[in-house]
Amino acid sequence: MLFPTIDFAIFFLIVFSGSWLLRPHRTSWCLFILASSIYFYGYWDWRLVPLLLGTVVVNWAFGRAVHASLGPDAAKTVRSRTLVALAVVVDLGVLGYFKYASFFVDTAAERLADLGIHVGDPALSIVLPIGISFFTFQAISYVIDIGRGVWTRPVPLLDFAVYLTFFAHLVAGPIVRASEFIPQLDSQPDPRFVRSSEAFVLILRGLFKKVVISSYMATVADPVFNLPALHSRWAVLWGIWAYAIQIYADFSGYTDIAIGIALLLGIRFPQNFDAPYRALSFQDFWRRWHMTLSRWLRDYLYIPLGGNRGRDGFVYRNLMLTMVIGGLWHGANWTFVIWGFIHGCALVSERVVKQRWARRPAPLGLPTWLVHALQWFVTFQVVCLAWVFFRAPNFSDAMAVLGRLFHGGGGSGLVTPLLMFTVVAMVVSQFVPSRIPERITEGFGHLAPALQMAALGIGLVLVDALGPAGIAPFIYYQF
Amino acid sequence: MSVLRSLLRSRSSRPGTLPAGLVLLVVAGALVVSMLVNADATLRNSQAKRNNAPWRTTVARDVADVADALGLTSPRRAIDDAMGRHSSNLTAEQVLARQRAGLAATQKRPGHASTPTTAASVVPHLRTPTPADPLKLWVGGDSVTETFGTQLVRVSTSTGQFQGTLDFHVGTGLVVPSYFNWPLHLAQDVLPKVDPDVVVIMFGTNDGQNIRLADGTILTAFSQPWQDEYARRVGAVMDLLKSPTNNRIVMWPGPPPMGPTTGTHGMDLISHIDWMEARTRPWVHYVDTWVYFSDAHLQFQHYLPSAGGQLSGLRQKDDIHMSDIGGTWLSWIVLRDLGRYVDLSGSRTRPGPNDIPPTSVKERTVVPPHVPGAI
Repeated sequence: MLFPTIDFAIFFLIVFSGSWLLRPHRTSWCLFILASSIYFYGYWDWRLVPLLLGTVVVNWAFGRAVHASLGPDAAKTVRSRTLVALAVVVDLGVLGYFKYASFFVDTAAERLADLGIHVGDPALSIVLPIGISFFTFQAISYVIDIGRGVWTRPVPLLDFAVYLTFFAHLVAGPIVRASEFIPQLDSQPDPRFVRSSEAFVLILRGLFKKVVISSYMATVADPVFNLPALHSRWAVLWGIWAYAIQIYADFSGYTDIAIGIALLLGIRFPQNFDAPYRALSFQDFWRRWHMTLSRWLRDYLYIPLGGNRGRDGFVYRNLMLTMVIGGLWHGANWTFVIWGFIHGCALVSERVVKQRWARRPAPLGLPTWLVHALQWFVTFQVVCLAWVFFRAPNFSDAMAVLGRLFHGGGGSGLVTPLLMFTVVAMVVSQFVPSRIPERITEGFGHLAPALQMAALGIGLVLVDALGPAGIAPFIYYQF
Repeated sequence: MSVLRSLLRSRSSRPGTLPAGLVLLVVAGALVVSMLVNADATLRNSQAKRNNAPWRTTVARDVADVADALGLTSPRRAIDDAMGRHSSNLTAEQVLARQRAGLAATQKRPGHASTPTTAASVVPHLRTPTPADPLKLWVGGDSVTETFGTQLVRVSTSTGQFQGTLDFHVGTGLVVPSYFNWPLHLAQDVLPKVDPDVVVIMFGTNDGQNIRLADGTILTAFSQPWQDEYARRVGAVMDLLKSPTNNRIVMWPGPPPMGPTTGTHGMDLISHIDWMEARTRPWVHYVDTWVYFSDAHLQFQHYLPSAGGQLSGLRQKDDIHMSDIGGTWLSWIVLRDLGRYVDLSGSRTRPGPNDIPPTSVKERTVVPPHVPGAI
């Protein structure tokens, strides 16, 4: 069930009503939300529901076992460490099977076929359970947090099940931590004060970004990435920028809708995007892009690897490993590894330059605005370069796209004033001070409910009219 | 009254918040407003969806009737018109009649050289393409054309003899013109603006559904009246694509067989209709896609060996759309068949042994309406 569909709208109206009616009764509310989330997930494919529920039960059981094996004052023990490691291995094993087994089997079948050995129909077409990367990472964070003593008591199974399956974040994040979500189950939000204006503005903004902007950018990015040889270097350049906008609009649009929906149910999610294309450095970019994944990688991978402690070379290794593994998280393809590698190199280079810069006796003498403009330009273009590998189906296609930037002649009807305006406007929008959207939200909240209804209705009409017929799934659903 | 008063005047003591009941009213009201204003578009989308539950279309039609009666759909229609979306209910035959009338009017103008408009009895004549003067190849159709068309444009461009354009529209076909009117799109956009030398066009995947005629008559999918009407539409599109100067060739690949669990069936019958209509039109060449995407018994296969003996996955996981390899196969087949009408001996590229099906696979001389065992 995709968010921007009639099916979801009907589903949500029912869930919203039931949720607020049952909110005073904690257990009933949890059961209702759990059932709704399972229905939401099963709407794609009911066969995948046991996997989701299995992940819930197994990780909850691991959580209990880890908690029971902690020493006095929640001190780590050999047994607790072993159990945490085992939980991570099990979770990553399941994730790896679904995400990577098909890739390995198909590759093996192709190599054997090259040798003249046909293994018959390699129809091991494993269905990738939607959202598996997201709920697996959430489950891992829960077990590790218990092992670290973050939780003084294990969470009840029902609470944990609601946390892991909650439909608003189930399929594409944000990656919410148990420590952020479960305490909200104990609070009793007042049904007289639903944070509606913030939610409405978020949902409308998300729909516009997904249905209108992302779809429009796809009409330029797709032909460029599918057939780079047919397009001029000018068109390829705009196609790459268009993809940068497309993936931002698609993913942040999804997140806006998810946060808005949760807010209407009285649950607050962490922020996942903060104008990433205004970043002046790669470190800054990763503090603004997919923020919940960034902090997951930081807390559960980078820091356990050693983080910033130790020699420079050790830190660089940690950075590189974190980014490459972050790339692999997206799927079994070398292009994702290269994407992570580019970001790793960028982060390492940035550290090296910063350290050397700090040792300079005097500043360069350039005006600050020019330095910032250069920093922004370099950051944005390298991020776009990495997106080429993220988008291309394989390495040679990515190189073909990049090659056209240097050897692409001829004209192309793809680059239109509307495209250029949209790309530039989307980049410029990143620099809009946050107080302006806050004021819009405040202004919306001051409208009478009837006017809010009219504004929402008109907004939905415009989004539907300006978007294409039929909505493509969110890009991040595939991860 | 109190609900209405709340809607018009209510202010929360906490800014930015509303009571849950009012939120429900606001959301439901907004959805009703947008549903009514978008009713026509929703109905078009619902009609165009394959395997859509009939009740969905019935509800969408009822809502559209109410919205039309209240005059609420005009804003959306104005936006669609402004954006140049072709949601006309004109049939292919009506579009063809318009095209012919326009052509006749042009020819009547003083000083305009007369061109024959009757169906030619000889095959079209196309010049020999060169890298400096390539043929304009346009490929279009439904979502199956996305991968196939992408590969065809890539492959044909690599020969140095074609300049390709891809124009696919997801969920479209010839059965629901109100969703996307292919004949109108071809007549208004493709022919005047692209004026292709070679047209490659493929429909069928979304066409296995009832046809609703302008007078409200429903023709049950694959019934005899449905077949007659579908054949008329296919034939009219073929006629529409004919060049008045007989210098355009239309390559018409039939739809491939669909996987047994796809819920998409009747592609054998649609292939038969395409083949029948193409037989009487020398400017149309029917490509028997079916045989290249099935086994020796003409049954669907996801994997098939190539001419080089490599087992290749020809379809995407949904068993409907083609994989890149499947698209490449069909592309080289189309180019090979096109070589019967155009001198393509100067091609800069040749297919590799794994880019084409085995040479033992032959197209059928007769395409029957039903393939035993096919869904």
